[in-house]
Amino acid sequence: MSKTKLYPLKININGVWKKAKVAPEESLLKVLREKLGHTEVKEGCGKGDCGACAVLLNGKPVNACLTLALQADQQKVVTVKGIGTPDRPHPLQESFVKRGAIQCGFCTAGMLVSAKNLLDENPNPSRDEIKKAISGNLCRCTGYKKIIEAIEEAAQKIRQTIYDKR
Amino acid sequence: MTKTHYHAIGKKTVRKDGLAKVTGQEIYTSDLFLPRMLHGRVLRSPYPHARVKKIDTRSAEALGAVCITFKEVPDITYAERIVTIPQKTFKDRHVLTDHPRHVGEAVAAVAAETAELAEKALGLIRVEYERLPALFDAVEAMKPESIALYETIFFGQEELRVSNNVAATREIIEGDIEKGFLESEIIVEEEFRTGRVYHAQMETKSVVCQPEADGGITVWTTTQTIHNVRQLLGEIFKIPLNKVNVKKISVGGAFGSSIQMNSVVPIGVALALKARRPVKIVLTREEDMVDHCKYPSYIRLKLGAKKDGKLMAGHMRVIVDIGAHNTQAYPLLGCMAGWWVSLYRLPHLKFEGKAVYTNKVPACAMQGFGNPQVTFAVESLMEILAEILGMDSIDLRLKNYVGLGETFWGQGPTVRSIIQSCGVEEMLLKGAELSGWKERKKTLEGTIRRGLGMARGFHTSGAGAPMPGEVIDYSGSIVKINEDGSVDFMTALMDLGGGTLDALAKIVAEELKVPLEKVGISSVDTRTTVYDVCTHATRGIYCGGGALHKVTAQAKSKLLEFASRILQAPPHALKIEIDEEAGQGMIYVEGVPGKRISVGEVAKTAQINNWGTIAAVDSLRQVNCPPTFNAQFIEVEVNTETGVIRPVRAVLCSDAGQVINPDLAEGQLYGGLYRGLGYALLEDTDYDKETGELKNRGLFTDFKMLTAEEIPRLEDIQTYFTHTREPTGPFGAKGIGEAALNPTAAAVVNAIYDAIGIRFTKIPVTPEMVLKALNEKRNQG
Repeated sequence: MSKTKLYPLKININGVWKKAKVAPEESLLKVLREKLGHTEVKEGCGKGDCGACAVLLNGKPVNACLTLALQADQQKVVTVKGIGTPDRPHPLQESFVKRGAIQCGFCTAGMLVSAKNLLDENPNPSRDEIKKAISGNLCRCTGYKKIIEAIEEAAQKIRQTIYDKR
Repeated sequence: MTKTHYHAIGKKTVRKDGLAKVTGQEIYTSDLFLPRMLHGRVLRSPYPHARVKKIDTRSAEALGAVCITFKEVPDITYAERIVTIPQKTFKDRHVLTDHPRHVGEAVAAVAAETAELAEKALGLIRVEYERLPALFDAVEAMKPESIALYETIFFGQEELRVSNNVAATREIIEGDIEKGFLESEIIVEEEFRTGRVYHAQMETKSVVCQPEADGGITVWTTTQTIHNVRQLLGEIFKIPLNKVNVKKISVGGAFGSSIQMNSVVPIGVALALKARRPVKIVLTREEDMVDHCKYPSYIRLKLGAKKDGKLMAGHMRVIVDIGAHNTQAYPLLGCMAGWWVSLYRLPHLKFEGKAVYTNKVPACAMQGFGNPQVTFAVESLMEILAEILGMDSIDLRLKNYVGLGETFWGQGPTVRSIIQSCGVEEMLLKGAELSGWKERKKTLEGTIRRGLGMARGFHTSGAGAPMPGEVIDYSGSIVKINEDGSVDFMTALMDLGGGTLDALAKIVAEELKVPLEKVGISSVDTRTTVYDVCTHATRGIYCGGGALHKVTAQAKSKLLEFASRILQAPPHALKIEIDEEAGQGMIYVEGVPGKRISVGEVAKTAQINNWGTIAAVDSLRQVNCPPTFNAQFIEVEVNTETGVIRPVRAVLCSDAGQVINPDLAEGQLYGGLYRGLGYALLEDTDYDKETGELKNRGLFTDFKMLTAEEIPRLEDIQTYFTHTREPTGPFGAKGIGEAALNPTAAAVVNAIYDAIGIRFTKIPVTPEMVLKALNEKRNQG
């Protein structure tokens, strides 16, 4: 059998600390999907070209396929499941559903991660800023229009909520 | 036309799988992990054409891997696409081969405990190849001195000799073209070429196979047709069909890439049967890119017309480089003829098509099945003809289009029916108005030049016709009304992302007058559904939905019969309406107060009284395949210094009949535009003629697609749906999907011509081509 030495990994995924034994060359994507059950993170190319595997690592978006699992040791990872749940969806998730911004759904997880990062950093993005933020996420179905509109709508909704709270 | 009052059809609603997809709950084939599951990998030929002289798997097996080679898979020649009737199906494939005919063709496979171990085992298989000369050009391949890629293939049960590497030929003649061209006052002729585009669906092709204790198998895979996968696996592995169960599972995009049973499926099954354990194979992107591509085309088109613009004759010659396998080339050529002659009336016509084997990736259907290729040629040449005639090209189109009451045969010469709904004129006029067609000005100076182009097109809604023909096209469904008034429907039809099953749920909700929330889309497999040919050919709503509508009406009859026992009035005296407040469908006797009962109460009463379940099952073949027409007006900016073309505005008109899902229908138009722009401007696969490999090496980095940054401004993409109803469709609906891309490339190329006065007849039109053409034009003075 394989003689590669395995190292302990401790990682916080969507607020829960999890442990695994991983090889130095294993990608974060592989460990998330195959060892930690986070299949919501999708593999589209395995080369950092498509963005389907995007996750937030300490609040910053990374392609999980290009990140070594051990780079994420002791760090915080947020996947699409950490953005919101069916019971408590994030405004971005709500607007993606409402605006028909999803078709096959395979790029959606990564797309939402990029969008979440954008709105965390810039609650009032212009259309060009939205386009730029998701330009590393390929979608073959939608032609992007409804995705951009959904992000715009969610941004507005979040700003309104913040305004209402004041 | 009577005004209709629908509560579900045509209403904006959120898709039923939406929340699961945005919260990461939706499961795709690659997400399945079964207990004791092995990971499979495929050994692929590094050569475009070779013979395997020796293959040794002992070292791989010593590592603990399960190995299979061509020696250990059933020796059966099969066709991976089986929608044509068996006696007309060309077969040339094997599960694994000792005679690979393209780089990436599978010769062996392994399964091991981990993906790493499988990868390692793969590297230990020793193969001795004898390299053979390879062919990369269809015209070259047809020369008598070229090497024969196949000696024989199968046509049905018959062994067929292949001559000059021609996989299929089709000649269709109507009228007398010599006479037609003699009577023509103007003749135009041009050669067109379109590329070998890769589908680039986001989920790579995948399979999970679990062998069962009774000798059967359960299969999950990326497919557009669970029933055809079941039948093929039964045939190849000699397993009775009741022991082959193919599960329906979400597909991460298709666009035709999974219209056939993909090559990875029987490989996964063979590994699982040998290992007696579940096996999963997920293709890497590099492997996926050598599995299939879009049919490329060479089209030589000649049209003859009178000075008033009336078309008199047409001659189309087509050569399709199908690559290493004949996936469905014979029907393809028939369809290409059909797309052509169903666009414009041609009293005299001749079509000559040849599909040719080469040592490239096998081509298959991709959004349009030959239609974008043909429409690119026809709609470019119509523009050329209009200019020579001094006519507005829209007037030329209006004069000649095949419309209401006329015969069309979009899906080929054996699939003929009469057009019963047509929004062509409405679209051409409205699109012209919305795009400012008449007011457009030529500005042939400055660095950035703008141009507006248009093209029209159509796709059929399925492949149904009054006569059976050569193509199988029918669907079936099961509908069951539950004891609380909710409804289940079971169909093998797939939702490839477009929302087809949401449309189907609306058809059920509308027919039974129950709230849409009460209709559930059931998880199904080949055991729990009746046959559905395939989710392809833009047939989902019209054919699948049509069958479901019929079955729902049968369930409704049973519902009303039971209700009549309770309300003590004859079934035909009963009416049914939705009660939004009660969240139920209500059955009542008109004008008789108190005679009113909910759908749920009827079902519950039927159960308590032992009358039985209210359910129905049936199949339907549509006897039409109505054209879903469209027209696109696209504006581009051409940078004359860099050669870069930017699409900046689009008016997308569609005649889909009654629109069932307005939001999702719009989504189809946007997606079609997006992939059409890529087809026109960017996407192609090129080969290294020395190694036979794709120059992009299977990487997205070098298979460029448009990103979010390169689409037109959102407010500059407009949609328009015509006010048409298809009398033969469920609630007046037709298809939409594939049509949305068919005219895009021609509209773009027409727009480029408008901008810089240069006519491109080959796509994609790259910046290099633009610069070269601009230079040539300058040099000419």
